[in-house]
Amino acid sequence: MNCQLCQTNSNHRLSLLQTFNVIKNQKKQLCQTCELTFTLITVGCLGCGRQQKTNQLCHDCYRWQQTGKKLLNHTALYQYNDAMRQFMQQYKFNGDYDLRVIFNRVLNQQINTLNADIIVPIPVSEHTMKTRGFNQTIGLIEGMAYEHLLKVSAGQKSHQSQFNRKIRMMRKQPFSMMKQISLEGKEILLVDDVYTTGNTLYHAAELLYECGAQNVRSISLSR
Amino acid sequence: MKAYYGRQLVQAKVNKVPENVISSAAFIGNTCQRCGQNVHGKLPNDHFYCRACLALGRVSSLDVLLSLPEPNDFDGKDILSWTGQLTPQQKVVGDELLETLSRSREHLVWAVTGAGKTEMLFPVIHQALSQKYRVAIVSPRVDVILELAPRLQQAFSQTDMVVLHGAQTETYRYTSLVLATTHQMLRFKEAFDLLIVDEVDSFPYAGDHMLAYAVKNARKINSSVIYLSATPTKVLQQQVKRHSLTTSYLPLRFHQHLLPVLKTAIVGPWRKKLPLKFLRQINQFNQTKRRFLIFVPKVSDLVGVYQNIRKHFPEISGDHVYAGDPKRQEKVQNMRNKKIQYLVTTTILERGVTFPGIDVLILGADEKIFSENALVQIAGRVGRNKDRPTGLVKAYVQHTNFKVIAAQRQIKQMNKRGRQLGGRV
Ligand SMILES: [Zn+2]
Ligand SMILES: [Zn+2]
Ligand SMILES: [Zn+2]
Repeated sequence: MNCQLCQTNSNHRLSLLQTFNVIKNQKKQLCQTCELTFTLITVGCLGCGRQQKTNQLCHDCYRWQQTGKKLLNHTALYQYNDAMRQFMQQYKFNGDYDLRVIFNRVLNQQINTLNADIIVPIPVSEHTMKTRGFNQTIGLIEGMAYEHLLKVSAGQKSHQSQFNRKIRMMRKQPFSMMKQISLEGKEILLVDDVYTTGNTLYHAAELLYECGAQNVRSISLSR
Repeated sequence: MKAYYGRQLVQAKVNKVPENVISSAAFIGNTCQRCGQNVHGKLPNDHFYCRACLALGRVSSLDVLLSLPEPNDFDGKDILSWTGQLTPQQKVVGDELLETLSRSREHLVWAVTGAGKTEMLFPVIHQALSQKYRVAIVSPRVDVILELAPRLQQAFSQTDMVVLHGAQTETYRYTSLVLATTHQMLRFKEAFDLLIVDEVDSFPYAGDHMLAYAVKNARKINSSVIYLSATPTKVLQQQVKRHSLTTSYLPLRFHQHLLPVLKTAIVGPWRKKLPLKFLRQINQFNQTKRRFLIFVPKVSDLVGVYQNIRKHFPEISGDHVYAGDPKRQEKVQNMRNKKIQYLVTTTILERGVTFPGIDVLILGADEKIFSENALVQIAGRVGRNKDRPTGLVKAYVQHTNFKVIAAQRQIKQMNKRGRQLGGRV
């Protein structure tokens, strides 16, 4: 196989169990060297999922709580380290959509364990669809059933990167509902690529709660 | 506007095209118009992008290419500030290059390693700049570009020059002189009146259709191309034979000495046990304090060979290095600074890097990784110093091998030409 990231060809040997089909031979997307550069989050903050020594609420999440928001109980799979930054650069900003397959399986597996009624990916703006050509989050969860409930309001750019943290925190609601529906009694799972400040996800959750959602949690590939 | 002269730049269709700039389709049929390849990645909604030239920023079916014709908006008052002297042979080649320029043709310079190609290019570059021509010098290897940049800037100290490669921080600006990796040519369109392609045989240029397309696309329809190589590929050699490509030979090194011949020795399975002949040679290096490189076929050979040598000669300091080695630069620097006496290496040090006064041993020279041209390049590492213009190049093989013989023949042929010009052993 060729590694999706560095293109090196490593002939990984099948284990005995794989050879005899006792365990399924799952197609590996990354070579061992590249795989090791990503760091899984082992213990995370209960609110935002960031890597910590304990699962106690971090300072940022405490502040979210102070503003009267219901905590997201966010789950994140990987730490946002150099390797993840480079992956996002290549996948999202250089637009190499083929790279979506790398984390597709692990992310979908994790989503399945969370047992939500409805899965809602964070949307991208129309401008992004006309330039990047894809929603990076939807790419990551390809194969998963989701509902397109949110859209980026007109005049909003979904690019966060250009604003600093303070401005991001103060920005007003960037999303609106695609259509008015009732989410009465529903367990919703929001999905994003990276959890940075929480601003995006808390704004999205607010809208969903307004539609009657019983509980809104969230997940991202990285934090 | 100048940013678009002779360029082809990617922009999303949804964004406004600057006034007067020419916009053209990014794909015709399935073919990427930037790189000429047909390797797609899928996007939603039936859109797609080019995977072949992705490293230069994505081109997709959502984009257009923007360009303006090259107007040669230069003053032509460039001065050659280099004051050195060309050897008589370099002068002959220099004149042939001037001829190439006046005839707008393609020309190959077949120059041995260490011939001093760069200086020989100065007259033709100067002539081109004086005619307000736009000139590019490209190499597939970024280390060659980085080494060339200061020398070129020094030779044309009044000329604005831009250096373009993947990892650079300098932003693009419109200049008459461009020094770039071959890949960067994908961002140009009919821009250059003179294009010089260095190390045309080396990875990743050889056999790469995309880079060949890049060069073709970046030169003007009426332009000259000069190819430089110490070891031309079979295709180029055939063109030379068929006289479809004019050629200059530079068989002598700048110090007027011939290339060192490639010697061979037949040995047993060296991976199991280092051959006695080989160890004796190292012992001799040890006695004479000679510095040396040992080439091995595979990364996995490095540690074994290195440790074995250490076991026999713990008193000699050395190291081992490969392409992906995180300490590569540091180790090469140690060898250059004479902090260590030897390096065990893979083919990464086959070209480009110069250590004056070394000898070279090649273990497993009969294995696939060492092509005829690779062996000639490796032999070219030796005798780069005016004070020690010769040296030992020894290939250890388990079987007599056609490739090794072909490499020996190539060196002999160059030396035959060199001897006619008065070259010394
Ligand atoms: Zn890899
Ligand atoms: Zn937190
Ligand atoms: Zn392309």
